[in-house]
Amino acid sequence: MGVDERHYNIEKLNKIFAIASLTLLTGVGLLFYNDYSRKWKDYQGEYQNLEIEKTRVKLDDENAKLKDDAEFIKLQEDLQKAKANFADQCSPAKLQDIAKANEGINSHSEILKQQYRVIKAQLDTAKFHYEEIAAKGHGDVKVAEIRYKSLEQRTKQLNQRIQNDDNKFANNKKTIDDCSQTVRDLERNERALTQKSTILDRKLKKIDPNEMSLTNRIANLVRNLPVIDLANPTVKVQQIVLKDIHDDLNFMTMPKVDRCTTCHLGIANPDYKDAAQPLRTHPNLELYLSKDSAHPIESFGCTTCHEGSGRATDFVTAAHTPSSEKQEHEWKKKYNWAEQHHWDKPMYATPYVEAGCFKCHSGQTTIKGAEKLNLGLQLIERAGCYACHSIDKYKDWPKPGPNLEHLASKSTAEWTYRWIADPKSFRHNTWMPSYFNQSNNSDPESKARSQQEIHAIVHYLFAESSEFKMKSMPQPGDATKGEELVASIGCFGCHNIDHSQKKMTRDRTMLTKEQGPNLIGFGTKTSKIWLYEWLKNPQRYHPETRMPDLRLTDNEAADIAAFLSKDTNESFNNQPIAPINDKIVDDLVRGFLQKSLSEVETEAKLPKMSRDQKLQFAGQKLIAQYGCYSCHDIKGFKGYKPIGVDLTEEGSKSTDKFDFGFVKIEHSKQAWFTQKLRDPRIFDEKKIKTPDEKLRMPNYNFSEKEAEAITTALLGFVKDKPGKSKPRTPENLAIERGEQIVREFNCQGCHIIEHEGGAIKDSISDWLVKYQGKDKSEVDTIIKTFSPPNLNGIGKKVQSQWLFEFIHKPEIVRPWLKVRMPTYSFNAAHLNSLLKYFNALDKEEFPFTEHANTTLTPTELIAAQKMFSPDYFDCTKCHIVGNQMPSGSQETWAPNLALAGKRLKPEWVIDWIKNPTAIDPATKMPTFFDPQNFSESGPPDIFDGDENEQIRVLRNYIMSISTLPPQPISMPTATLTTNPAATAEQSK
Amino acid sequence: MIEEFKNIINILARPYIMFPAMIVAFIFIFPATDGLMKINRRLGLYKLWTNNGGIAIFAFLFLGFGFGLTDPNFRAIVTKPDNVPIVGLIFLVVFFLWFALKQAWENDEREAKGLRPNEAEDAKENILVWPDLVYIEFIAMLLISALLIVWAIVLKAPLEQPANPTVSPNPSKAPWYFLGLQEMLVYFDPWIAGVLFPTVIMLGFMCIPFIDNNRKGLGYYSFNSRKMAISIFLFFWLILWIFLIITGTFLRGPNWNFFGPFEYWDVHKLEALTNINLSEVVYMILLNQRLPDNILLREIWGILALLGYFTLTPLILAKTFLKNVYNRLGPLRYSIFIIFMLLAASLPIKMFLRWIFNIKYIVAIPEFFLNI
Repeated sequence: MGVDERHYNIEKLNKIFAIASLTLLTGVGLLFYNDYSRKWKDYQGEYQNLEIEKTRVKLDDENAKLKDDAEFIKLQEDLQKAKANFADQCSPAKLQDIAKANEGINSHSEILKQQYRVIKAQLDTAKFHYEEIAAKGHGDVKVAEIRYKSLEQRTKQLNQRIQNDDNKFANNKKTIDDCSQTVRDLERNERALTQKSTILDRKLKKIDPNEMSLTNRIANLVRNLPVIDLANPTVKVQQIVLKDIHDDLNFMTMPKVDRCTTCHLGIANPDYKDAAQPLRTHPNLELYLSKDSAHPIESFGCTTCHEGSGRATDFVTAAHTPSSEKQEHEWKKKYNWAEQHHWDKPMYATPYVEAGCFKCHSGQTTIKGAEKLNLGLQLIERAGCYACHSIDKYKDWPKPGPNLEHLASKSTAEWTYRWIADPKSFRHNTWMPSYFNQSNNSDPESKARSQQEIHAIVHYLFAESSEFKMKSMPQPGDATKGEELVASIGCFGCHNIDHSQKKMTRDRTMLTKEQGPNLIGFGTKTSKIWLYEWLKNPQRYHPETRMPDLRLTDNEAADIAAFLSKDTNESFNNQPIAPINDKIVDDLVRGFLQKSLSEVETEAKLPKMSRDQKLQFAGQKLIAQYGCYSCHDIKGFKGYKPIGVDLTEEGSKSTDKFDFGFVKIEHSKQAWFTQKLRDPRIFDEKKIKTPDEKLRMPNYNFSEKEAEAITTALLGFVKDKPGKSKPRTPENLAIERGEQIVREFNCQGCHIIEHEGGAIKDSISDWLVKYQGKDKSEVDTIIKTFSPPNLNGIGKKVQSQWLFEFIHKPEIVRPWLKVRMPTYSFNAAHLNSLLKYFNALDKEEFPFTEHANTTLTPTELIAAQKMFSPDYFDCTKCHIVGNQMPSGSQETWAPNLALAGKRLKPEWVIDWIKNPTAIDPATKMPTFFDPQNFSESGPPDIFDGDENEQIRVLRNYIMSISTLPPQPISMPTATLTTNPAATAEQSK
Repeated sequence: MIEEFKNIINILARPYIMFPAMIVAFIFIFPATDGLMKINRRLGLYKLWTNNGGIAIFAFLFLGFGFGLTDPNFRAIVTKPDNVPIVGLIFLVVFFLWFALKQAWENDEREAKGLRPNEAEDAKENILVWPDLVYIEFIAMLLISALLIVWAIVLKAPLEQPANPTVSPNPSKAPWYFLGLQEMLVYFDPWIAGVLFPTVIMLGFMCIPFIDNNRKGLGYYSFNSRKMAISIFLFFWLILWIFLIITGTFLRGPNWNFFGPFEYWDVHKLEALTNINLSEVVYMILLNQRLPDNILLREIWGILALLGYFTLTPLILAKTFLKNVYNRLGPLRYSIFIIFMLLAASLPIKMFLRWIFNIKYIVAIPEFFLNI
């Protein structure tokens, strides 16, 4: 076939073919390169280099240490000597002969063993054969028997010879071993000393190519080649599969798989604290990742807490979230970062990382180590977010605002108007949020409307207010006495008096002091008589209130009322009140009427209504619109649903469910929450809305830090269920419930519970300085005596029955305390929960504990009385017994021992007497029995110096004091001595 | 200035402007009758099918895309890995259309001069399967493989979120080849758009050999001798298929709303889509009374309109515009042909009724799930 027969120029086609082939080859090459080159492989290489470097440094350190180790040097010398001795004592030639002989014996014995196995098999067959013939009787029994016997004989002989060989072998071996015994022992010691360095050396040989054998190096190279690397490469994706924690894939759940450690190789390795990301160590290995931490990496992985896409092995697809715009910019440049719209759970940005804790720890009130989240939760509790937005965690919580059903008896309409219009102008740090003069209702038209809205609301509240009977006060009250009472009896556990208009970021301690309102401006707000009635019995005015009863006498209540009502706020009182504008009121009413009536009906009805009726009608609708009833009890609004969106699963909502309006911020949940908390009405910006369509969330004026904390909590409110890793035992649940009550009633305002709280101390020290004339420096040492007791370990300490009675109806344990344990209107459920909680915290049995025998024999009684007396431990120097006050100064007084029998747990008393500082390091109780030298510490003349016996008897004695006929305990009326010199004298 | 220009393009891209404009342009660019052919000649539109015309078309396309890519919204949609093949589709369809018509017009000119078509020359030459055909096919295979590999590396397959039955993607789009059908769903009930029309399309294909008895232009490219057939085919192919795919890909955004090429795909964009049925137009708007209770009475106008469309129109057309066709095909083939044509034409007609009069259904009997 000639070339000219062809249509195309074949030469040209050949060239094109060559080019096409090369192109395809390049394409395939590119394909392999693209598939093979992964960023994580670079990170693993980097990690390996670092690991080699670090191992080498460690090895060098270890070797250097060995070099200087006297023990090791001595060992080396000994070893050398032993080796020399060995050569002297046992001639090597002789040993070699023995070894050779042993080799011969060994092979001989192997042959015999082989023969033995054959013969034994034959024997078994012969035995079976013989048995069968003998039993069935067909065949020659004789022959079979002879064969069996002879085989049996041969087996025995063989066995004999094998044993002989074994004996010889063992003897020879012993000869050799005996000779080298010292050397071997020393060598074992050397191995023990060099163990660390050997391990490091072995590791280095495994990972460092320079230390590896050539074969291994080639093998490693081949293992990592493309395609072949499917088998067992050295550089590979690392993953943690979590059986107990599942990913919800909508159609099914799958065990979580986290591949984060593919790049974050040093995450659980403490050596990488200063390494650059992604190799850096986790910042908190005590709490996370390490084997003995609460969250080991094998059972929790990474995305369980951090979220993000655990299966991804690429920076961008893992859904990392930048924590600032600057970082976002950097990431875009460095990693070509882009938001992963298709991953529903992006990683928490660093500022909000604590959000991840809530998923599993949602039952807890305080999550240890998650301070920002704790602050966020506490702010949510205090601000009462849960009142308008239902949140599962807070579904049993009471309404955060006061009862308004008897408002007319408490305050004036003018005050209420000004208060609603701008609560912060009355009390700068009030928790009542601002509804008016906000970003979406501060234009002139809205302002005019707002004024009339407030009129309507006030009108409704006062028209619906029912009578609250108030008796007359016994006396006008002494404000000075009142001030001292407020400072001393414990008001500052929950309240503060703060006139400074400073805007402060609240921390969690401050929040305990804001449990109740800032006690300013009462003269403007309410009457003295109302304050008196309130103080006497808060529940009468507001049945749901958390304000407890401090058991004030009539005079005390009058004094405090006089003090509080002395403070007025004139500038607030001078704020103008706009007159009622009928036209706008009509508009208001018309708007609400038209929702249910036609325009004609509305216009017919409107003129028939009086002004009061109009205000009443509009007020009711407005209270419903703004949701005032969510926080306050208001007549006519029982059973109304909260107006806000449910926040229980807010963190799981997808970003596109949030209305960003026309506000130009980053489209992320955290940005939206933050913006909303800064200015709740911002998303109305540039929108056309009728007044009732406008956003209604009021402004709490959160600071940036507070907004961030609340955002963290909101991000944590997710729908994911925790895995099975942390079982919720009855004890855990009891603790959770107890913590909730403790938080709800602010027990930690006065007491230290779970090592937290007790902020009332500051105001007590102020009181000591101001009213007791104590020196500031001195206060620190005595403050503990005058503060409410520390409740750490209370479950171990007191009997549940007594605690039940005490919380229900407090009795005086420490008569010198001015601070009073208030009477709370707890119900049995509350009390039981609290008792379960205290006992569960200390891992105590509940409700019944071990019964201790506290009876005393006559001799024991005498011994106990001796120890109790001033001659020995002088217990009554500090302890009150019945109605007998101690001999020492009041700063050193200690609880009433007459109560011990029913109050204290017998086991605890033993522990306490033995070593009080072990239970409470700051206690003033002397340590009579030195724990360092316990057996010598007791008085030698009692029970022959048997300390345990002494303590037991003393305990029994103390426990029995209460069995004396009960004597009334009178409250000491005497105040502390104000003469510091006298005090000093006394304490000597 | 540029923004205004983009705005004008966005307005021109609105379906009720672009679609009629395309149909008008189509009629003159692909003249189906001798009369239209004269206009085409006079306007010089046939010059599109010369080399210069081709350069002009592609220059226009490239310039258009080049300009468009400067706009972030246009760029985001056109460069999305899912959509890149459709961009390729635009260029390929235009190229092959131009290439075929160029040859057709050359042949037509040769025919006018009394010459035989270009293909007649080719037919004289024999080409061997090996090496001539197999070799170039093999080279093409290599190049296409290389292209696909590089494409796969450069534009990663898009991964979306884990499937979730409670969350549908917005916009939720059919695969590109079904976007025409999805677009039809906007105007017709699912049983028409999804069942009847696809069936009719296939039946129509089967009927082509029996209806088209024109023996001219076989075995070579020619436009003049098959004006009607080519125009009808191209109308279906370009306007009712390719154009709807392009629209569905680039111009249909969230909530299946229509967006201009330079418009941001705002999920919150609202369009007033309050549609009414023909019966409501007749009774409530024209006659100013409430709808009759009797279904038949209520829908009688729509039924009459449909009957008229499918019976009177063929008769009228047979006597007027399509006289020649009727004569050539005879009554039976004409009937089949015209029914298919009318069914096909019902799509653009329904589109116009929707866009201009907000008509939802001509006949709406939801009582029997029958909506047309």
